[in-house]
Amino acid sequence: MNKLIALVALCLAVLAFGQAPDSTTRLNVEDIAFSHAYVAIEGGEVYPFGDLVDAVDNAFYGGLDFRYSYWENVDGVVMFHYSYFKPRPSTVPYDGVHQAMGKLGLDWHFPLIRPVVVGGGFACNWTRADLDDGVDKNQIYMLPGGTLTDNETEFGWYARLNLALWNFENYRIGFNVMWEELWTLPKRSEMLYVGLYVERKLW
Amino acid sequence: MKKFSLIWSLLLASVWTSGAVAQVAVEMDGMEYETRADGTFLIGGPTYAFDRILGAGGIHSESELWTPAKLRNRLLFNRWSGTPSWTPFEPSVWVKTGNELGDLIYQDFITGEQRPDNRTPVLEGGFRTPSFMGLWATARLFQDDHFCSGAYGYRYKMVDGSFSHFGENWPMFSSAYAGLGYTNSLVNASVLAGEEYVWFYTETSRWIPAHYKPRVEARADIKNLSLTVAYEDIEYQNRLKSEKGSRKEVNGSVYYKCGKACQQGIFQISAGMAFRAVDDSGTVYTQLEGDRVAWPFMELRIQPLRRLRADVMFGVNERDWLVQDSIEYDAPAPENMGVIVGFKNISGSRLNPLADYREFYDGRVIELAADGQMNLIQGYVSYVDTLGNVALGGRGSYWAEYGAETFDVAGYTLEQATEGNIATRYGDVVRIHDWLKGVTGELWLNAWYQEMFMFTAMAGFEHIDGPVDNAEVTPAEFYTGFTGDWLLNRTFKISHSLRYRSDAKWNLRSKNPMVVKGDWVWDASFEQRFPKYGLSLTGTLLHVLADEVAETVNGGIDRIRFICQAKKTF
Repeated sequence: MNKLIALVALCLAVLAFGQAPDSTTRLNVEDIAFSHAYVAIEGGEVYPFGDLVDAVDNAFYGGLDFRYSYWENVDGVVMFHYSYFKPRPSTVPYDGVHQAMGKLGLDWHFPLIRPVVVGGGFACNWTRADLDDGVDKNQIYMLPGGTLTDNETEFGWYARLNLALWNFENYRIGFNVMWEELWTLPKRSEMLYVGLYVERKLW
Repeated sequence: MKKFSLIWSLLLASVWTSGAVAQVAVEMDGMEYETRADGTFLIGGPTYAFDRILGAGGIHSESELWTPAKLRNRLLFNRWSGTPSWTPFEPSVWVKTGNELGDLIYQDFITGEQRPDNRTPVLEGGFRTPSFMGLWATARLFQDDHFCSGAYGYRYKMVDGSFSHFGENWPMFSSAYAGLGYTNSLVNASVLAGEEYVWFYTETSRWIPAHYKPRVEARADIKNLSLTVAYEDIEYQNRLKSEKGSRKEVNGSVYYKCGKACQQGIFQISAGMAFRAVDDSGTVYTQLEGDRVAWPFMELRIQPLRRLRADVMFGVNERDWLVQDSIEYDAPAPENMGVIVGFKNISGSRLNPLADYREFYDGRVIELAADGQMNLIQGYVSYVDTLGNVALGGRGSYWAEYGAETFDVAGYTLEQATEGNIATRYGDVVRIHDWLKGVTGELWLNAWYQEMFMFTAMAGFEHIDGPVDNAEVTPAEFYTGFTGDWLLNRTFKISHSLRYRSDAKWNLRSKNPMVVKGDWVWDASFEQRFPKYGLSLTGTLLHVLADEVAETVNGGIDRIRFICQAKKTF
């Protein structure tokens, strides 16, 4: 498997030569960057997948999105969301876990069907157990979920499908469907986000 | 002549910089070895690495050798390190965070007793203001918790508290400083003060905690003169043995570097002096002979002919001497081709004449300076040939070293703690009284297209004859590496480094030599750039594909890690 990935990585490196010439001869990309910017509030539900179904319940999430023009047909995206996950096993010695999520990536506007936007990037989730006052962290560290009694952070990647449902002058309402995989052990952690957003054009 | 200069620069760049070092962002300044392909780079932690470039010749690693280029590096025990670096950044504000991949998060709810080890982060934030009437301010907090698994169960029992600015991972270093500076066309000066927690890896294979409280460093560059002075109040402790001690140290350097006018002449002279003075009290773990060292040195470049140049660095004091010199000849070659024939020599009584002279370990004295001298000679030929957007190059060398520094093990011990033992040793630094001889060969290919692409493929081998098992490390015999950097639309940069190193071996740090198996490693960096706004957002994956193993006795595990950084320059 490692050899296969190595081969893919090598191909990626060599593929550089197959790229089209720099389009900057036609467009000044530096002027496109941040020429438009948008802020959105978003809310929805998160669904754990795979083994994680036995670990946590579905949860609501909410937060802010910031989108900015980067290249022609490509936007940069920064998202900050919050969620509160309730553990399913009764052996976990607390009610829930605070989770703050940050995402940084790119969106590509499909030129033929403008409302359809696909994107992807890196994800970073911070978690901390919601402990009752007076709980001794060291006492419960070896129980299921014990590692979350201290701050834990994990990175991963996400891919998303963004569907703009309604466009008004400076507002947009749409669906955001995201697949997220965190690079956890002993297995990767996968979740699906489905949310609705209201976006306001800043400039 | 223009073409000649181009080839010359390409040659140098290919062998020693861009070809060897990928443009992948490293996790912390000074850790460039973690993305290098062209040698043996075994990381124990952010404050210690065995870093030997295959074509450099000799059996030592780069950080063991003192050179004038390291005057502002940090002396960590007996090695020069770029980490933690106190070199002020350009005017900007930045944040960085990252983590070794593989924490449990919600997997912890459904994982039984086979929990993987905790993964640990890297944290950094800082700023340097634009200058106002030449004045500027800066502050930086930076801490690398990666590799903290190294002797963790032993280390955290040695010290009071968490021994860091943040968290409870007992990181190998945690540093914070703030200060003021002044810059104009003649002067660049700064004074920084801060607090720092650092672990030193020593000759006995222990990690020694050093708490700098405070550390103050002043620098001034006035035209061609560079001054550096640092005051360090270092506290040592070992709670397991109820030991405490302190060292108050002043160190620094004065350096005159050959300026632009000087560089036009046949004789180009630079000179300076590095110094240290210490005042120890209580239980300390090292000793500087006479509590002070002054190290005057001189550099001379002679270029009698356009194609011929000789460089000499010579330093001497009442205890040690060190000479590093080379002669290089740019041989006549067809157009678009460059050939260099060179000869290099390093001789001296000590590779690092500024380091401490003794280490103390449980009543034993470990001599860190060997009697006699070492001599290293190396002859080399390198060439490069450019064909349009492709350059082919190679370098071959033969080296021989007598009297290489090594360690004579008198015995191995086990340092015991309640939650972790570490393998240690005692003995003395001595010399290999025999010739070690090596043959090296390296080939590389560079290809580029405008500013968009830069691709490098390289491979190297080395065969060493002689009692190499008496050396601290038997280096890798073979490497290969592929780096690809491409810049899309001048605003999105992707950098890759895929490389392989064959087996390396620690011969003397444990009863049975520790083999660090050869492996493939892939690093990748993705960067959004906004040149108009001076903004960049970078995400970097390090050490993908490779097995996650410790590369040094008592060192941390080299894990897959992800680091992201946002930076705004003013």
